This record gives sequence, structure tokens and C-alpha cells, in this order.
Amino acid sequence: MRKTMIRFFTIADYEEEEKWLRKQHQNGLKIVELIPPCIFVFEECEPEDVIYRLDYKNSEQTEEYMQMLKDFGWEYFGHSVGWLYFRKPAKAVESEQDGELFSDNASRVDLVSHVVKTRLIPLAVIFLCCVLPGFIRAIAGEFTGGIGMVFSAFFGIMFVVYVFLIVYCGTKLRKIRAKYDP
Amino acid sequence: MEDKIRRIYVPMTESGFYILFCLQEPQHGYGISQQVKRMTGGAVSISAGTMYGTLSKMEKDGLIRFYREEDKRKLYQITELGKELLSLEIKRIERLYKNSKGEDTDA
Repeated sequence: MRKTMIRFFTIADYEEEEKWLRKQHQNGLKIVELIPPCIFVFEECEPEDVIYRLDYKNSEQTEEYMQMLKDFGWEYFGHSVGWLYFRKPAKAVESEQDGELFSDNASRVDLVSHVVKTRLIPLAVIFLCCVLPGFIRAIAGEFTGGIGMVFSAFFGIMFVVYVFLIVYCGTKLRKIRAKYDP
Repeated sequence: MEDKIRRIYVPMTESGFYILFCLQEPQHGYGISQQVKRMTGGAVSISAGTMYGTLSKMEKDGLIRFYREEDKRKLYQITELGKELLSLEIKRIERLYKNSKGEDTDA
């Protein structure tokens, strides 16, 4: 039996997402399909402890990379907006590093910097160049009539969503970086 | 050698050192991780993402070069620049080791 769940994880929630997917598998739900940005399709299975890991590659994964992950025992099962999803049964893990994609802090920090550069900064640019000017015009009452109401509401909602995302992701990514970069 | 490269790689991370050390012979990522596990009795274990990232960076910076491909796996080998950095690191670690035993080194 298949089960579909909708859950939104931001670009700063990948560690929570890994834990959540592991918990689903422990409860007998194995993910079979990822539909970006927030739909997860599961299939019922024998409960098993399987470690899930996400790597952020934007669009730069190569055949060499995929082969290397496979050599290290990782099964690739999907991607969603720049994130690659891997899993490995916990019983196949011999050491702590075997169950991780990154074994030193330098590479964990690199991942955060990559997300900031290719996702958070573009988000801030869109906010400053499109959302904010539109929101200011809406407040100034420049949009009139029925369509104007729709525009004003649209920019109002976008403003709130963007401010929330930028503040939330910015703070959280900083925290993750600080955890690994003392 | 450029100052920038020296600043990045001296001192090296532990994974970086072992990877460069192993590439004195041509090898691919997974092979290196197995060799490092053997050499250190399992005390040093390098994960997949860290291995891939370090190899890409070292290749970009000219410390290692692509040697040949074997079933989709790229084999790398150390370059002259890589050897130079490795020997700098080995000297630094030797000094560290001697000093830690209470011996003086004449730099």
C-alpha cells in the first residue's frame, strides 16, 4: 500500500529531513518517490533501521560522484531541487563515518556555504529586486481596482513568506555552520 | 609555489594528508578510503562526500591529476606540486612529533 505525505522542509532543514525519513522507515514506510518540493510517496515495508542522508549538489553531480557514493554503499533514490537523497541500512555501517556523507567539519561547512551561495543569496536578491518594490507600491496604494487588490494581496503574502524564509533559513544555516566551525 | 596554495594546504586536514599520501600510487576514491582504514587500523575513516569534495578541490588546485578511468571510477595521481606540499607536511609533522617527545629540532 502506498501512502503520500506532504511535508515542507526548507533549505536549512536537511538534517531534520534525514531523521524524519529514517523514522518513517523504522515504522515500516519506505520512500519510493519524491515529488518536489514537498510531496513524499511511501510504500509499506518491513520496519528496518536505514540511515538517510542528503547532499546538496545544485546541478553538478557527475557520473564519478554517483559511482563513488555507490562504492561507499549508498543507494541513490531521488533528487529534489538540488538535493540528492541517499540511504544505507544501519547494519551495513561499520564506523560512525560510514553512516555519514561527511567525515570532517571542513566538508560540512562547505555544504552550508554552497547552500548559502546558490540558494539563500538568490532568494534575498529576488526579495530585494521584486518582492520588496512590489510590496512598497502596494502599501503606497499604487495598485487600484479589482486587479490592484489581487496584486496588493499577492505582494503582501510574498513579502511575509520571503521575510520568514530568509530570516529562518539564514539563522538556521548560521547555527549549523557554527556547530561545525568552532 | 603560490602563497595561496600554501595557506590552504599547510597545515593540511587529516583526511587531506592521507588522501595525498595514498595518491603517490594511482588510486580511486573508494580504494583510498579502504587503504586509509587499513593503514590506521580503522581509526581514520573518510566518508564518501568528503572524499569526493577533497579530490575535486585537490585536482582543481593542481595537487593531483586525473590518471585514467576504470569502470566509471576516476583514478588520480599526485603531481609535482602535490609532492612538494606533502613533503612540507611530513617535515612539519616530524617536527611536531619530535617536539612532543621533548626533543629539540634545529629548524
